[in-house]
Amino acid sequence: MWNKNKSLFLSRILTDVCAGLAVIFAFFVPGGAEWYNYISEPIGFLADKNVTVPMIIIIYFCIAMAFCVLWSLHKLLNNIANEKVFIPENTSCLRMISWACMLAGFSMAVLALWRAIFVFFAFLLIFFGLVMRVLKNVFENAVEIKSENDFTI
Amino acid sequence: MPIIVNLDVMMAKRKISSMELAERIGITTANLSILKTGKAKAVRFSTLEKICEELDCQPGDILEFKKE
Repeated sequence: MWNKNKSLFLSRILTDVCAGLAVIFAFFVPGGAEWYNYISEPIGFLADKNVTVPMIIIIYFCIAMAFCVLWSLHKLLNNIANEKVFIPENTSCLRMISWACMLAGFSMAVLALWRAIFVFFAFLLIFFGLVMRVLKNVFENAVEIKSENDFTI
Repeated sequence: MPIIVNLDVMMAKRKISSMELAERIGITTANLSILKTGKAKAVRFSTLEKICEELDCQPGDILEFKKE
């Protein structure tokens, strides 16, 4: 029977799998960037320039942001497993996720100078960061309400 | 917060211990301590009613408003 604990376990496994995939992906970034430079259609302000080096730098930056997000998710899931849901630490995790997504989005926007297609990824990341920010605001209020409830005698 | 809880003063006047009062009004001593130390964010009318009943006092004897 499917239950809350199994769902939590699945989320933790998926988080770890994503972390593993990110590590594997990191090894293929230089080769992938060179290949992308070769096959991609050059549309953008700096379209005539080689995209390999900026792409490697930005993708590694995005991987670093992805690790920040995964670490925050790991902490969040641990806290939820320990039945500590509405605590300020979880709000900080959501804030961290939001900023990491936004920063990755802005870096993708920079990459769009070389290849315009990355505007799409930038938009998606910034949009997701915004959604997480709103979620963080909701969570912040929930923490306050919980504390008020806990201190109502 | 400008609301001051004078529960400890009232308890001393009535010579009643925290444990005894907590037991009589049906809350934990930890919650009574939160109330006494002014850490509480709200008091239920039902709790206030029981406290007033046990200490034979008015809500104003327990709660005081002081401008900051």
